[in-house]
Amino acid sequence: MSLTELADRVGVTIANLSILKTGKARAIRFSTLDALCRELDCQPGDLVEFEAGPPIDPEDDEDE
Amino acid sequence: MRALGPGSVSSFLKIILDVAQVALSIGLGVVTTLGLAALIFHFDPKIVFQDADFSQADAASARRIIAGGLLIGALYIAGVLVIVGRLRRIFSTLTAGDPFHPDNVRRLRTIGVVLAVLEIIRYPIMLITVWLAPEVMSKSGFGMNLTTWFAVLVVFVLAEVFREGARLRREAELTI
Repeated sequence: MSLTELADRVGVTIANLSILKTGKARAIRFSTLDALCRELDCQPGDLVEFEAGPPIDPEDDEDE
Repeated sequence: MRALGPGSVSSFLKIILDVAQVALSIGLGVVTTLGLAALIFHFDPKIVFQDADFSQADAASARRIIAGGLLIGALYIAGVLVIVGRLRRIFSTLTAGDPFHPDNVRRLRTIGVVLAVLEIIRYPIMLITVWLAPEVMSKSGFGMNLTTWFAVLVVFVLAEVFREGARLRREAELTI
């Protein structure tokens, strides 16, 4: 399945799918996760994993 | 009343800001020209101080005071023009449907700083005016304007609110 086809089926833009893929997303909606798991026939744990590292500072990515 | 579009509060505010921008630009041009003209050309200071009786030396000093006053007025108008310019840019982000743009935080802080600077430079100017032309100050009065400082406080609080708004906007953008 291509990225374009997956984006269409899940109901997100290719740009947002790319943000998810590159790990730049700050959060994922349950509805998006549900749609992704449904379309890819997988579990949430197959899509997200925890990597140990310093805690995320919410002020870090301010684009002022 | 609608927030955006024709007949909304924002459309009236936009008209007010546009009119203020044009009026202040014209005012700045006129006052600066008059101030420079007062410095360069000779004129009878009795045009301004009608009841005064000037000697030759007094007239020259009165001309300098008038020119200084006009140029300080031009500086003040320039400051207000900066504020109106920033407000118009903030407004354009609102009409574009993105009021919590991160640039608005900086714009609000600039407005706060300009308001504070305009108030701060008023004090030495008043002191100089009392020294040079006490008859002018007796009419306008001398004192600290608490309303301005309160406005400065309000603007800085709003800037912080917008900073948080910009952070939430960024989070919403990166929530897929």
